[in-house]
Amino acid sequence: MLQTATCIAIALTQTISALGAMPTGTVERAHERVAPALCVVNYGLERTNPATGQVDRSSGSTLGLIVSPDGLVMVRGHMQIENLQPFNVRVVVGQGDEEQDYPAKVLRKPDNVNVLFLKIEPPTPRTFPHVTFARGVSLGLGEPVMAFGLLGDTFDNARGVQGRFIGSILDSPRRYYGLDTPVPNGFIGGPCLDANGRVVGVVGYDLTREQGGDLYARAGYPLVYQSDLFTRYIDNPPSETELTESAEDAWLGVFTQPLTDDLARYWNLPAEGGIVISTMVDGSPAESSGLQRGDIVTRFNGVAVRARQDRDVLDFTKLVRETGVGNEAEVHFLRDGEPMTLTVTLVPRPTAAADALEFEDDIFGLTVRDLTTDVRIMLNIGPDVEGVIVRRVKSGSWADLAQMRPGAIVLEFGGIPVTNIEDFEAAVERMAAERPAEVAVFCRVGQRTGFFRLQPRWPAE
Amino acid sequence: MNRLCLILPVFAVLAAGCATMPASQDRAVLRARDQVAPAMVHIRPVREVFRRGEREEVVVVGSGFIISPDGYVITNEHVAGERSTLVRCVLSDKEEIEAEVIGSDPFTDIALLKLKGKPGQTFPTVRLGDSSRLEAGQTVMALGSPHGLARSVSLGIVSVTDRYLGGSDQERAPYNNWIQTDAAINPGNSGGPLVNLRGEVIGVNARKLTGADNVGFAIPINIAREVVEDIKDNGRVERSWLGMTVQATTSITDNPDRLGVVIGSVDPYSPAAQSGIRPGDLILAVNGHPVHARFEEELPPVRKRLADLPVGETATLSLDRGGSMMDLEVVTLEKSEMRGEERALDAWGCTVTEVTPEIMARARLTERAGAFVSGTREGGMASNAGLGAGDIVLSVDGEPVRNLAHFLELHEEAVDSGRELVLMDVKRGALTRFVLLKQGGSAGAVAPGFDG
Repeated sequence: MLQTATCIAIALTQTISALGAMPTGTVERAHERVAPALCVVNYGLERTNPATGQVDRSSGSTLGLIVSPDGLVMVRGHMQIENLQPFNVRVVVGQGDEEQDYPAKVLRKPDNVNVLFLKIEPPTPRTFPHVTFARGVSLGLGEPVMAFGLLGDTFDNARGVQGRFIGSILDSPRRYYGLDTPVPNGFIGGPCLDANGRVVGVVGYDLTREQGGDLYARAGYPLVYQSDLFTRYIDNPPSETELTESAEDAWLGVFTQPLTDDLARYWNLPAEGGIVISTMVDGSPAESSGLQRGDIVTRFNGVAVRARQDRDVLDFTKLVRETGVGNEAEVHFLRDGEPMTLTVTLVPRPTAAADALEFEDDIFGLTVRDLTTDVRIMLNIGPDVEGVIVRRVKSGSWADLAQMRPGAIVLEFGGIPVTNIEDFEAAVERMAAERPAEVAVFCRVGQRTGFFRLQPRWPAE
Repeated sequence: MNRLCLILPVFAVLAAGCATMPASQDRAVLRARDQVAPAMVHIRPVREVFRRGEREEVVVVGSGFIISPDGYVITNEHVAGERSTLVRCVLSDKEEIEAEVIGSDPFTDIALLKLKGKPGQTFPTVRLGDSSRLEAGQTVMALGSPHGLARSVSLGIVSVTDRYLGGSDQERAPYNNWIQTDAAINPGNSGGPLVNLRGEVIGVNARKLTGADNVGFAIPINIAREVVEDIKDNGRVERSWLGMTVQATTSITDNPDRLGVVIGSVDPYSPAAQSGIRPGDLILAVNGHPVHARFEEELPPVRKRLADLPVGETATLSLDRGGSMMDLEVVTLEKSEMRGEERALDAWGCTVTEVTPEIMARARLTERAGAFVSGTREGGMASNAGLGAGDIVLSVDGEPVRNLAHFLELHEEAVDSGRELVLMDVKRGALTRFVLLKQGGSAGAVAPGFDG
């Protein structure tokens, strides 16, 4: 409340523009340095309807920011979300006569910040103009900043700069700086510089779910994504397919809820607080360590834990995640009001469904994924169920004809048990070799199982 | 003015009908109508419904027909069933009379009512036909109260004699196929008769396909007749439950020589699971009676044969498991109500039902316990505490909830005690959580120190 009031006060009393508030020459020097690192990213976009498997294609264009001399480009994360896949990505570097158009590959999207990285693939190696982020810079309320971006297609994507003031500072779920007024579309993902000409972050509109916001949920209010959120990906870029980052995130395997004042009072607990373990994930490190549902964690790996509101729960998730895979963390907790301690060895966070490998069979028309832990939790599937989940059914395929639908879990394919996508792939290959007239597929749909019969018509040999 | 608008189109239809229909058929239709119309009943029951976390009473409109001179009436369960509090009927002579629900069966959507006539009063009745002898193309008519318009007749033909309705209807009406007709059936026709030109009732109108023209469905009278007999004898229909689903053999092979029915799924902890039956097994015979379903239309009779096994007794299923034959013995359990009882907790602002085997399976509970929240009232204590429809309450203040009745007891005790905080252990899907309900702070509380 106080911050909002302050922010309004600044907007009203400020009589000079943010650019005008910069020391003489700062804007020009910054523009000279930063503008060449701005690029135009043109791409095709495949949008898959998860229910029908039907794919629509469209094309788009967005601002990119070159962040390394070998051509690593950072763009806004919306280019790649569930069911939306970019293809034929090209990066246009430079302007006018110096304009160069390069193909680029899409790297694995980081799962904790809503940006995407591309790697330019020039035919001959070259050095790209790029920005270097200043790290650990904090901004003050009312401080002027410069935002760089594109003026859009109609102005031949000319580079521009706009001045803004830091209008608010958010402390939760972690520190964010809000700009005082919105920025044009072509400036989203563009660099943000302070009065000293330091590149402190990029302008973005959204937080990912894990940052406490649903995608698009906070659209309309621009934030500065501080460089600390993504510089680790610049230092160590994600690969094309493998998940480098998330594999390093540590996992405990619990769901938690805040220890509200009322709950603490109900349980007669001291006011120091803690976090309540509400659900224990099957086979998780928490479970094998001896932690139980209902335990109240008060200290984790030496850090005091306190969660009084829903959003505080994210801090605990982050704390666990950053404790490090393989580390033994000491957990202090209350069980029935009694303080207890135990040690838990953290494991890598299991692969999420969105990152799971997919296999698309081009004979029967099924695209399947491994059953990941998050899907098991979402669909309430026990550890006894092994199979692959149907992600898409190609329209008009044998699978479509047999009325198979996305969400079905394939347990057996043509009598061959399927526990993962390798099994599924092998089963499909075997069918292709044996060419049976019909293939019975044993599936789980909801809590029930049943059979589907595929009747492929094999091409003449 | 309104009335004119309604009548004019009716004239138009009759004129067209007269022009094209042979006089002999016209006479047959009138004769058949005359045999059934006097026994028609316009039914307006008051029914309890639970929505948005509250119990409400609503008036519904449906149709029915009298099958015995002492006043037994057949209608749909979704018109008048266990949840009807008052059943008002209007007879063909416009006499208004109350009826009692003798029994109902949600799985066939049939209910049996008894008119509360004066001592010695007799009623006109219909004649029941034989639905197994129906043929597609045969002329039929539907009588009833479409949209509340009593004494309406519509004419058409049997489109299909054995329509299989899959999807959720398969769960709700697993034991019968349907007579599909193009005689106009609308809301309010429910429970009314489908009649052949001999004036015999051959079906009970119950469904229509929305978004389509003249695709209506009736329950075959042979199914209804059996259900009515059971209700007359026992007040209800007793069925066995084995805890498995069956599929036609075409779900695995097109080979017509492959006999039996395919076991699609086996519920955990069910009699079928305990006897070792597995998905993929083919049932060839039940207690020595061969069963076979190559196509899904043949499934309802097989399900019915399994449901008709005596409850609590041992049955022998002859199976084909991957080519080897075996007999397995299975002890049946009684099939429970589809939904179970529902109750409204006014103080907390929510409605709850019994945990049915289906809810149990969906939630992966290992035993049948707890209470299922079917709705919450906006702004009520339950809703404010974060409780929502679909939650299963497993314990209240540390005490495990055994069933709905136990939950009602715990709720009453908590309300009477007036304690401020009530802790519930709640499960939804794979996740469990603690829900703290804050009682009090509502109207009637007097602030301390207030002396008026």
